[in-house]
Amino acid sequence: MIHTIVYGFTIGAILYFIAIGLSVTFGMMRVINFAHTLTYTLGVYMLISLAALFKGYFVIAAMIAVIVVIPISYLIERYIIRRLYGESLDHTFIATFAVALIGVDTIKWIWGVSPYPLSDPIGKYLMFWGLTLPIYRIVIFMIAILLFIGLEFFFRKTIVGKIVVAALEDKDGVGCLGIDVDKYFSIVFMMGSALAALGGVLYAPISSVHPYMGLSILLLCFAVVIVGGMGNLRGTFVSAVTLGMVMAVTARYWSQGAETMVFIVMAIVLIFRPIDI
Amino acid sequence: MGGTKIERPSSLNKNSDLFEVAPAKRTRVLLETGLVMAAFLILVPVLAIYRVTEFMIFCIFVLSFDLLYGYMGRLSFGQMLYLGTGVYVSTLFSLHVNPNPVLTMLAGVLGGAIVAGLLGLIIVRLADASFALTNLAFNQVGFFLIGSAFQEVTHGEDGISSGVEPWGFLDFANEPVAFVFVLVCLLVTFYILKVLTNSPYGIIIRSIKEDESRVRFLGYSTFYYKWLTFVIAGGVAALAGTLYTLYIQFVSPVSIHPLSNVEVIFACLIGGAGNLYGALAGGVFFMTLKDNLATHIPEWEWILGILLLVIVFWLRRGLTGFATFLIGFLRQKIARGQPAEA
Repeated sequence: MIHTIVYGFTIGAILYFIAIGLSVTFGMMRVINFAHTLTYTLGVYMLISLAALFKGYFVIAAMIAVIVVIPISYLIERYIIRRLYGESLDHTFIATFAVALIGVDTIKWIWGVSPYPLSDPIGKYLMFWGLTLPIYRIVIFMIAILLFIGLEFFFRKTIVGKIVVAALEDKDGVGCLGIDVDKYFSIVFMMGSALAALGGVLYAPISSVHPYMGLSILLLCFAVVIVGGMGNLRGTFVSAVTLGMVMAVTARYWSQGAETMVFIVMAIVLIFRPIDI
Repeated sequence: MGGTKIERPSSLNKNSDLFEVAPAKRTRVLLETGLVMAAFLILVPVLAIYRVTEFMIFCIFVLSFDLLYGYMGRLSFGQMLYLGTGVYVSTLFSLHVNPNPVLTMLAGVLGGAIVAGLLGLIIVRLADASFALTNLAFNQVGFFLIGSAFQEVTHGEDGISSGVEPWGFLDFANEPVAFVFVLVCLLVTFYILKVLTNSPYGIIIRSIKEDESRVRFLGYSTFYYKWLTFVIAGGVAALAGTLYTLYIQFVSPVSIHPLSNVEVIFACLIGGAGNLYGALAGGVFFMTLKDNLATHIPEWEWILGILLLVIVFWLRRGLTGFATFLIGFLRQKIARGQPAEA
């Protein structure tokens, strides 16, 4: 049972990393960013190449992988999404999907289609009360907690964060104060993409790596955002951990049905809480 | 609630009038259907007959998507689910219940419509991106159920052969028979959709695309119309699926794969959404592109991605929209007495 709880927290943490960018992007700019799958996958593949380069220094490789994704996400924001602000959501959705399609093919072209094995970078186990827990999973959850506190601090205390929170409420109002919302959105977009890459980098060693890995995780994150509320930052955290738990508990009894159960929960939430988005 | 009851115009009170079209228009629709038939018959000598059959099946699928996206303005990223439901329900029906092709078809269409009807209760309340993504999520669930969870029945990734047997002259191994049967299915679908979209019902769903709350103010239950459209689209997609079963006689989870949705979206957009001819043109265009590119370039999806970007940025109304624009532009030039090439 402790195992299940730890696994649930780990998955929840990963979902939180990726969903936060999705949630803010939607809440602030009403853009569903399908290219999020691309930044996530790209982070992982960067890690694979860099890990071979920096043998044994997983942390350095992971950090560089996350940093490399930032300029790419800037390009996506600058040349694709910025052109489609304020237009129908369908068009941004299709455009970002097209970007993801091109990106995935580029990944297939550079790294090949076959899955890569990545092993647990710590590889040690914590043993107490007759339980063995992989330390790596605990580390992931610790990072998520730190990130949550950090983001809370960022959105409450820093001026950039405050502008973003205000823009989530009322974008036009913030614009009327003479603040260039688009610029801050750009910053937040890159942050969200970097977090997605971080999620990918952390999750890759305990999952499988292949060019289409982003799709299923994006759908899960979308379920997280629906359950937590679009643009609701704390709601995203709570729902990420809850759905992570749902996945872990389902996987304990029916390992294949874990993802399906998340969507069933999402459907139930949708039945009882109609949303207009 | 107290207060005065708002009466709808009496002309729209009866449900039976909702799907009616003026007789003159009906003849026109029939004529247009004839034109479509001619167009596909012309394609036969240009391409091989078996290819045109496949094209037409895909076109039926694009029509179902166009009804949802082009007419009602709801972008579904999970239309493959209903195609796949049609494929698998018909295959399993032919194997375990009855190998008759017509009954198999009916079972498949019914299966797709029922799944769409149940999921539609949840899905149609959403709009925009959540509509798209929720569809995609359900499609993923369907793919998982077919590909992994019920492997004993569906044989998972290995796929299964359907058990459809010839019935009278209806033998799908015979290319011309299959061609004519699929053509008839396409024309019937086209005719029905054309009538539907021209009827008052069609006006309502197009109004929902423009502004749903105004339609609600007029006293229409938009939920009902959205649900009905969703079910019709699901049924038509399932029809395309059953035709795949009948024609190809072998099914695998590829036919329900969530990523394949981009194909139908692309076909609809390149042809021009909100226009049934656009759907047909887009279907033919996409299949030609796929046939020619896939044989030369193994990773050809990035071309699809770039074309999608081109559509979103510069070609919103697709090829048919571009053609109408060009014709209108030339006409205006000529009417002004100027040469077209100014």
